[in-house]
Parts: sequence; C-alpha cells; structure tokens
Amino acid sequence: MVHEGPGVPRLIVRRLAKRYPNGKVALKGVDLTVRGGELVVILGSNGCGKSTLLRSIVRLIEPTEGQVLIDGHAVGGLDAAGLREARMACGMIFQHANLVRRRNVLANVATGALGRHRTVASAFGLLPRCELDAAVGFLREVGLVEFAQQRAGTLSGGQQQRVAIARALAQRPRLLLADEPVASLDPESAREIMALLRRLATEDGLAVLTVLHQPDLALAYADRIIGLRDGEVVFDGGPDEISASMVDLLYQRCAA
Amino acid sequence: MKRSNLLSLILLIGIGLFGQSLFVIEARLSELVTGVHGMADIIGRATPPDLSSLADIAWPALETLDIALFGTVCGVLMAIPFAVLAARNVTPSRLLYFFARSVIGLTRAVPDLIWALLFVTAVGLGPFPGALALSVHSIGMLGRLFAELIEDMDMGAVEALTLTGAGRTQVFSHAVVPTLLPSLLGIALYRFDENLRSSLVLGFVGAGGLGFHMLTAMNLFQYREVSTLLIVTFLLVVGTEQISAALRRLTA
Repeated sequence: MVHEGPGVPRLIVRRLAKRYPNGKVALKGVDLTVRGGELVVILGSNGCGKSTLLRSIVRLIEPTEGQVLIDGHAVGGLDAAGLREARMACGMIFQHANLVRRRNVLANVATGALGRHRTVASAFGLLPRCELDAAVGFLREVGLVEFAQQRAGTLSGGQQQRVAIARALAQRPRLLLADEPVASLDPESAREIMALLRRLATEDGLAVLTVLHQPDLALAYADRIIGLRDGEVVFDGGPDEISASMVDLLYQRCAA
Repeated sequence: MKRSNLLSLILLIGIGLFGQSLFVIEARLSELVTGVHGMADIIGRATPPDLSSLADIAWPALETLDIALFGTVCGVLMAIPFAVLAARNVTPSRLLYFFARSVIGLTRAVPDLIWALLFVTAVGLGPFPGALALSVHSIGMLGRLFAELIEDMDMGAVEALTLTGAGRTQVFSHAVVPTLLPSLLGIALYRFDENLRSSLVLGFVGAGGLGFHMLTAMNLFQYREVSTLLIVTFLLVVGTEQISAALRRLTA
C-alpha cells in the first residue's frame, strides 16, 4: 500500500445537512476533516445522525445540502460511473460484516477489487487471478491467511469483521469508514478490531473515520474524537481534551 | 361478535359451501358403488402388465423426462431475469417491475395444459410443444418464488459490494447469486418434479411422451400396456424425486 504520510486531507465534509421527507432533520451542517494516518472516532447516542453522516458521505443517503470531498474530489453531483469511481477510494465497514457467507474467505476479500476489473468474466461471477493472489496479502495483514479457503459464514463475528476489513483493503482505499464495527463483538474482539484500524492508520497511512458507542475504546485508540448530538458537531478534539461531562452530554437522549 | 360465535359461523359457511359443491358436481354415491364392478373389470383386463411393450416405452419415457428437463432449464433461465425485475429491492425501475410482475402473473395464471394446446396448434404434435408449454408456465411459477427470495434476502452483502465500486451486474453475480443459489437450486429441482408429472398429462393433448402413449393405448383398449406405462411412470416419478431430494441435500 502506498504510504503518502499523514496530514493529507482524505475526507472533507462541509456544511453537510440531511432532512428526511418526513421532516426529521438528521444532520445540521456538519463540518469535519479526516487526514491520512488519522483515526477519528464519532461518538453520540442513537438517532443523533452518526450513521446518516457516514451514509451521506458515500451517498447511500443523498444529503440535502453541503459538500463531501474524498481525496479532493467532490462526491455530490457525480453520475453513476463517477460515484463508483469515488466509492472505490473509500472502504466501508459495517456493524455486521456483510460478507457473502457461502463463499470462501479469499473470494470475499477479492470481491473488494471488483470495481477495478469491470470485465465480462467478472460479470459472470469470476474473480481475476491477480486479485485472488493479492487477497492473500490482505488476509495476511488482518491475520487470517490460514482461513482463506474456509466458508466466510463459519468464522466468528470478530474474524468476519477482519475479513470485511481485508475486503475493504482490496479496494486499495485511502479512506476507511466504519459504522459501529465492534458493536456486535465481545470486548476482546472489539479491541482487536480497533487495534487493527489503529495500525492501518498509523502504518499504512489510511484515513479512518469510525462510529463507536464505546467511549473507552475511543479514548484508547482515537487521534481525534468528534461528538455528534442532534445532528450537530458539539465536540471536536483529542481524546485527552474530552471531559466526562461532555461524554455524558453526548449520551443523553437526543431530541426527537 | 364473540370469537367462538365467529368460528361457529365460519364452520357453518364451510359446511354450506361443501354441501353446494356436492350438488353442483352431481355427486352420486350409488353410481360410485355400482361403478366398482367396472373398475374391477378394467383392473382385471390390465393385469398382468404387458412387459413385452417395455422396449417401445423406453423412447416415450425419455421424451417425458426430456420435456420436463427442457421445460425446467428454459423456465429457470427465463424466470431469473423476470424475477430480478420483479423484486422490489433490486428492480431498476417501477415500470419494469410492473411489466415483469404482469408477465409472471400471466404465465402462471394460464395452466400448462392450455399453453400446450396453444403450442400444439402453433408447432404441431410431439414433445416440443409440451416442452415449450412447461418452459412458459415455469416462468410464472419460478419467477414469483425467485422474486420473493430476492426480496427476502439479507441486503448487507449487496450494499457492501455496491460500495466497493462494483457494477450492478457484478453485484448480482458476486453477492445475490451465491447467497441465493442453494434456494434457487432447491426450487428448480422441485419444479423439475412438478414438470415431470405435468409432462405426463400434457401427452393427453398431443404433446408427446408417456401421456400420449397412454391415451393411444386406452383408446385401443390395450389395458395391459396401460398398466406397464403406469408402472414406468411411477418408477420415473419416484426415481427423479429421490435424485432431486439427494441433490437438494447436497446443495443445502
């Protein structure tokens, strides 16, 4: 993986807003920047716009206003082909690993590179040899190379999440978004996943933006914490700057 | 109305409906009793089965099997694209959704026997119109089940692959197909069993196979050959059911 060093802004979000058709305002002009090599954690209680924010960045949800720049390229207004291109630079990890459970681990990882190989063979379910070879390397990076030929559905939750990270790495992204990646894992597996994300940021120079519900993990692994409440950024600073009262405020019930 | 009263009313309506059906179908128990003699006479004339006709039955048996095979394979191949268009969660447009749902509805609503009659008129007697009839009817039967499977599938993997920058076709072949394949195969194998039984009946309207031979033998009062045909039919149906059950277990 190309390591261009920390400091390069990989994700810039400007005045991002989202109002749903039912009138609910999920985001009220969110600004944030994530740089290469940086691990940023978003904290906030349920319904405060964390998932809407991540989904709006990759346009799984269309934001109402604002601008998203991934690697300097504006994501808003892109046509289908442009959006696919933009999404390739941005790996996404979900609460559940979202693997194809019946396929083996290696094939699951290699599917992360499908966007780079829009061939007839790949449309018929075949994976390029070079990507299967590369997938072995990504599996080694997440410590699961010995499970390459095993069905993904047979792995534990933590292992499946690591496979999902390897699949995201197969995209060769510069930015990783993670939507509550440890929410359904036991504490040990959760720490392993966070340590892996930390390593990917520090050693590979990836910009990592992750939503978490565990302030202790945020304090232990984040370079920066963003506190979201009622769709607004109410805190943006280092883990040593966030106070206990701010954490309490973030986890008070949001307004309906 | 109390629940117990409602149930009593429903039961009464059910009994009433069944009663009117006896009237409409002109059910006559006495004729069934006297008809037993006729049935016994036919069974007497049908035994022992004429095993010398087995060699002549081999080809129509293969025809029956192949009508079902062709009908199922073509039915599956045509049902998949219609199912994709008819599944709310993956259809590319509302217009195509209604078009696909209409095709599936129409091909399912018209019985395979009617399709066979239409195709016999179009392409003449023989196994081919039977195979075409089963193909078209299978689009409706399979298309609906496939569409429901797609609608009920976990969309997590689809969403994940879409976000890797993969195209729509790639997402379908790498996420939807592997996820649904065992269920699709299971349904297709059940359809093959159904089509095999249907292909026997289609022979009665001139669409080839064992059914056509059975009709000819009955018209010529060759009841011993009819009983041989029935035995072969039984073995064919039970044999394929066993094989498809084993295949379903294998792909589960």
